[in-house]
Amino acid sequence: MPATTRIPSTLLGAVRASTSRVTPPIRQRCAYHSYDYAQPPPFPPAETKILSSAYAHVPNHGFTVDALKLGARDAGYLDASTNLFPRGVFDLINYHLVTQRLALKDSVQFPEEKDGKKLGVGSKVRSLTLARLRANEPVLHRWQEALAIMAQPTYIPPSLHELAALADEIWFLAGDQSVDTSWYTKRATLSTIYSTTEVFMTQDTSKNFV
Amino acid sequence: MSAKLLSPNALARSHAPILDFLAPRTLTSCTSSISRQRRRHQSTTPSPPTPDSAAASGLNPPTNAATPIHQLSEQQRAFLSSALRVNQTGELAAILIYSAQSPILTRSHPHLRPLMKHMYDQEAGHYKFFNEVISKHRIRPTAMTPLWTAAASFLGWSTAVLGREAAMACTEAVETEIGTHYNEQVRVLLDWAQKCGERGESLGPELEALVGQLRTIRDEELEHLDHAVENDAKEARPYELLTEGIRAGCRGAIWVSERV
Repeated sequence: MPATTRIPSTLLGAVRASTSRVTPPIRQRCAYHSYDYAQPPPFPPAETKILSSAYAHVPNHGFTVDALKLGARDAGYLDASTNLFPRGVFDLINYHLVTQRLALKDSVQFPEEKDGKKLGVGSKVRSLTLARLRANEPVLHRWQEALAIMAQPTYIPPSLHELAALADEIWFLAGDQSVDTSWYTKRATLSTIYSTTEVFMTQDTSKNFV
Repeated sequence: MSAKLLSPNALARSHAPILDFLAPRTLTSCTSSISRQRRRHQSTTPSPPTPDSAAASGLNPPTNAATPIHQLSEQQRAFLSSALRVNQTGELAAILIYSAQSPILTRSHPHLRPLMKHMYDQEAGHYKFFNEVISKHRIRPTAMTPLWTAAASFLGWSTAVLGREAAMACTEAVETEIGTHYNEQVRVLLDWAQKCGERGESLGPELEALVGQLRTIRDEELEHLDHAVENDAKEARPYELLTEGIRAGCRGAIWVSERV
């Protein structure tokens, strides 16, 4: 019956046409990382200058607008330059998170062999996580306040994004090669462990965080 | 309907524009030696793929003073991530289809064993390649792996049970979709290369090698398509339903994997 076979074929033609468009790019969380060129710095130059000087004031003034203002002044900008940061203090916290994450690559070196055995991925993850936790030390007495800011509803998504990025960074630097569901479970478990340990660390009064 | 299916070689030729010289096939032999060198590195810092000594790890990549390397935009990186994610999961699905089909098919048609093994080995090679690309370039793999595993195994098993022609028709359908998909990716990458060339930049050794590899893989997939057609894929009944259904399923899976 020509009529009934013609309809499915036009339908099929329509289906085929609609799905053969080039896919518009979707915003990716873990996008392609190229080795052909050096990665651009995470923040624009003016912001980097202000944030890095403000960061130096955090141990004394905490993650507050005061620290940002002092930082702006040190960097040679007007106090009102803090308007560059629409998210205010969260941008300073974000700066700490991003720079500490990116510093992991250079701050942790692994020996080829330890006690005659090659270092496994698990122990590398452990070393990297401990290194990152230790990097919190200079601002640890201000970190509870930072966590409170990060827990505000507007800032929860970017905070979780950074936590996920940190977990990914640690697994990648440890040499993880998983390409299936374990990619997700590894990062999820590491994120949980890291965040709970960090919270515990803010209350830990033992010497050298034993 | 079958007339609309271009012969695979014409398909390949029509989508490979003049800029083939940017990624000559000979690059693939260089890539495999470069990737072997890279695997010897044990440092935590992912080293750029310099063809020089292993001591160059962690340093800035050497840029040719004459042609700077193009820095990929967000959209380009997003495209590469989705594309490579889909490729990796597609190869996994292909392996599962062949693993499910082989025992059933070769029991009743032992003469197909070498062909099935050859196709399986090639798909396994592709899978290994894309796994390395995904983990090296920090691309997120698809979360749908368990679902695609189940679907692909079921597809392979059910088409094998339907018979040799149906199994070949399944291969034909899947390879047609995959061939189109790879062609599209190669076309986009060569388009980028052309635009870079116009600006006086180069795509960079990584991407040029990738284009070469994608073309090889695409050619092998289209070769599988030819084998399937040679082995009476078109004799399958109901041909239209089977091939169109599988192709629609593939397109749906590709769409989802690009996002999830």
